[in-house]
Amino acid sequence: MNAPGSRLWLAIRFSDLALTALKPDGPTTKPIVVIEKKRVIFANAMAAAAGVTVTMDTTTAQLLSGCEIVERDAVKEQSALHQLSEQLYQFSPYIDRYYSDGLVQSGLLLELSSCLALFGGLASLSKKIFAHLAATPYGFEYGLAHSAQAAWYLSFADYDIVGDEVVGNKAKPLFIERLNKLSIDVLIDYPRAVEALAKTGFKTLGDLALQINGKSISSFRKRLGQDFTDLLCDIYAIDQNLLQNSLFEKPRDIYRPDEWFEQEIQFEYPVTIVEQLEPAIENLLQQLSDYLRKRQQQCQYIEWCIADIYRKKEWLKVNSDEPQSHWQLLYDLTLIQFDNRELPFEVDTIKLICHHSMPLQRRSQLLDFDQNRRRKSSLQDFTITIAKLKARLGDSAVYKLGYRDSRVPEFTNVMLALAEKCNQELPEVHLNSLRPTWLLSKPELIEARRNRLYWHGYLSTLVGPERIIGDWWQEPVARDYFLAKRQDHLPVWIFFNLYDKQWYVHGVFA
Amino acid sequence: MMNMTNIPPETPAPASLEQLLLRDDMWMGHSRRFTARAAVGTGYGELDLGLLNRGWPLSCLVEVCQQGMQGEWQLFTPALLATPGLVALLNPPAIPFSQAFIQAGIDLERMIVLSAAEKNHFIACFIELSRASIGAVLAWQPAEALTYTELRKCQLAAAEGTGLAILFRPASAQQQSSPAALRLYSRIAPTGLEITVFKQKGHLQTQTKPIVLALPEQWAPALPYHALNQQSARLKQDAKPRRLARVIPLRGKP
Repeated sequence: MNAPGSRLWLAIRFSDLALTALKPDGPTTKPIVVIEKKRVIFANAMAAAAGVTVTMDTTTAQLLSGCEIVERDAVKEQSALHQLSEQLYQFSPYIDRYYSDGLVQSGLLLELSSCLALFGGLASLSKKIFAHLAATPYGFEYGLAHSAQAAWYLSFADYDIVGDEVVGNKAKPLFIERLNKLSIDVLIDYPRAVEALAKTGFKTLGDLALQINGKSISSFRKRLGQDFTDLLCDIYAIDQNLLQNSLFEKPRDIYRPDEWFEQEIQFEYPVTIVEQLEPAIENLLQQLSDYLRKRQQQCQYIEWCIADIYRKKEWLKVNSDEPQSHWQLLYDLTLIQFDNRELPFEVDTIKLICHHSMPLQRRSQLLDFDQNRRRKSSLQDFTITIAKLKARLGDSAVYKLGYRDSRVPEFTNVMLALAEKCNQELPEVHLNSLRPTWLLSKPELIEARRNRLYWHGYLSTLVGPERIIGDWWQEPVARDYFLAKRQDHLPVWIFFNLYDKQWYVHGVFA
Repeated sequence: MMNMTNIPPETPAPASLEQLLLRDDMWMGHSRRFTARAAVGTGYGELDLGLLNRGWPLSCLVEVCQQGMQGEWQLFTPALLATPGLVALLNPPAIPFSQAFIQAGIDLERMIVLSAAEKNHFIACFIELSRASIGAVLAWQPAEALTYTELRKCQLAAAEGTGLAILFRPASAQQQSSPAALRLYSRIAPTGLEITVFKQKGHLQTQTKPIVLALPEQWAPALPYHALNQQSARLKQDAKPRRLARVIPLRGKP
C-alpha cells in the first residue's frame, strides 16, 4: 500500500459551476451564457457551438447565438461548493476549495491517502465519489496527483483511474510523467509567467522540469518570482530548503462540516397541557447546554417544533437578548412563550433545533475610569429578569428614558432600548426651568368655562410664562408655558399655543 | 409490637396559637418583632417619625392610595436617591419626563419603564421585578382592580426581594382590605402634601392628623397672576377692562 506520508490528492473541477449554480435544473436546449463585467465567462454547449467563446463581450455573444444571458452569482457558487463539500465529507475529512481566477472555475480538492483502506482501494473509492457526483447537476473533471496543485492541473488532462497502480512508491514518477505532457497554458492563473515562458520557448511543463533538473530552480525564481517558483516546487515536490530536508509535510486542513443541534422527544401518550411538556423541554435544553459546553459555544436563538401523530406541526421561536450557554434562561423564556398560548393539538413529539451557535466570547473586563462598574453590574445581574419581561411584554414595552437636544419638550424625551446609553446632559435653559415629572403623551385641550380654563377642574396660572419656540424648519412650535394649579391644588403644566390660540395641558407636577 | 395499621396517618397537627404567633407574616397590633426590618429614610423628618422603622420599609409591599397623580415623585424622590440599584416603573400613568428627573438628580440609566396594561402581565412583572431585588419597583395598578389574593401574591414577592416595592392604587381602594405592610393615603392640599398612614404592620395607628410635607418652593406663585385672576373673577362681567396703555399715533388724524 502507500508509503507513510505520501499524499494522494483528487481534484474535482466543476467546469460548469457558474451556470449550474444559477440554474440547477439540468441541461436546457437553449444557448445560455454566464457573464461577469460584460464578458462571457461560461458558455453552454449550444452557445459554444454557435461560436461563443469565453472572454467574448456580451453583445457579440448575443448576436452570434441569440443566447440567454445570466449574470454570475459568486455567492450561489460558494453555497453550491459548500453543499458539495458537505456531501463529499463522507469520503474524506480533508477537503479544500480551489478557485482559478483566470478560468473563473472552482473545484474541490480531496486528500484520499488515509481513506483508501476504508473504501477498499482507490478504484472503488473513486467510483463511489463519481457516482455520487453524477447524481448532482454539476458537470466535473477530475485529476489525481501527489499534491493538490498538481491534481488540479492534471484535471485538464484525461486520465482514467483504472486500478491501484497510481498508489504507492511508483505513483509520484507516474504523476510527474503525466504532468510533463501538459502544456504551460494550464498555468493560466500566472499569465505573466506563462507569457514569459512562451517567449523563451517553453511549451510544456516537461520543458520546465528539464530546465529545473539541468540547472536549478533559482533561475525561475529570479525571473518569474517567488509565487510561481513555489507553485513549481509544489507540483514537482521539490524541497526548497537547501540546508535540511523538512521533517514534516505541510499539514492538511481538516474540513469542518456544518453542525447544528437537533433533538426530539416522543411522548408515550398524547400531551394536551403545557405542564406535561415541561420535563421534556428541560431535558432537551439540558442536552443543548451540554452540546454547547462541549464545543465552547453559545446560542441566542432556538426553535421548538411540536407535532402530533398526523404530522401537523407548529413552530415556536425563542430569542434571547444575550447569547446563552446555559439552559435556565432559555427554559424560562420557552415557558413564557408556551404560557401565552394553548397547545393547538395533542402533542406527540417535541423537537428542539438550534441552527446557529457562536463561539463563547472571552470574558473581558473593561477599564472603569468613570466609576460606573457598580451600575453596570447591577444591569448585568438583571439581564435574566429583563429577558423574561421582554418575552412577556414584547421588546417595545420595556424601555429606558433619555434626553435629546431640542427646544420642544415632547421631542426631548426619548425612549431607548435598555442596551443604549442615554444622554443626561441637560443644557442650562432646561436645567433652570420648571419641568413636570409626568408628560402627557399628547397635549390635552383645555376648555374655556365661564371665561376660565377648565381641565377636570378650574385652572389658575401660578408661574409663567416661559416661551418656547422651535422647530421652525419643520412644524413650527411657539408656546407660552405656565405652571397652573387646578381646583384640587394639583400643579399642572399648561401652555398657550401661539399658532392656534388654544390652551393645552402638557404635564403634571407630581 | 407495632404493626402497619398502628402508624397514625400523616395529617399535620393543628397549629397552636403560639405557633401561629411565631409566624413572621402574622399581624399583631403593637409588636416590636418587626422593628428590626431594614428601611430607607423618606427624606422628610416628620414622616420618618410616623413610620415604624423611621423610613420606608424595604422588602414589603407599600401601598399608596391617591386620586390620580398626587405628588408621588415628591414623596419618593429622596428615598430613590438614597437607594442604590435599578428603579423600575411598572405601568406608569403618563410618560416620565426625562428633563425633570435629570433636574432631580436621578440617574436615567437606573430607570426602566415597563408598560403592562393587562392585569395578569402586571402581576407577573411585579413579582418578577420584586424578586429580582432591584432598588425599587414603583407600580401603578392597571385599570382592572387587583383582588386580595393578587395583592397577597405581590406582598409575598416583595418579601422575597430586598428593595422598595411601592404600589399606587386609586383612592377608592382605601376602603378595601389589603395585605400590604404599609398603607397610606396622599393628596395635595393647599398647605402641602398630606400623608395619612392608615395601616402599618406591627403598629396600632394613633395618628389622627395627616402629616403635611412641604411642596417645592418653585411651585409657589411667582407672579401675582392668580391674585389677579381671583380679582377678575369677582369683577362683574360687564365691567370694562382697565386700559393698560394709550396708543398715540404720531401721524394722521387722532
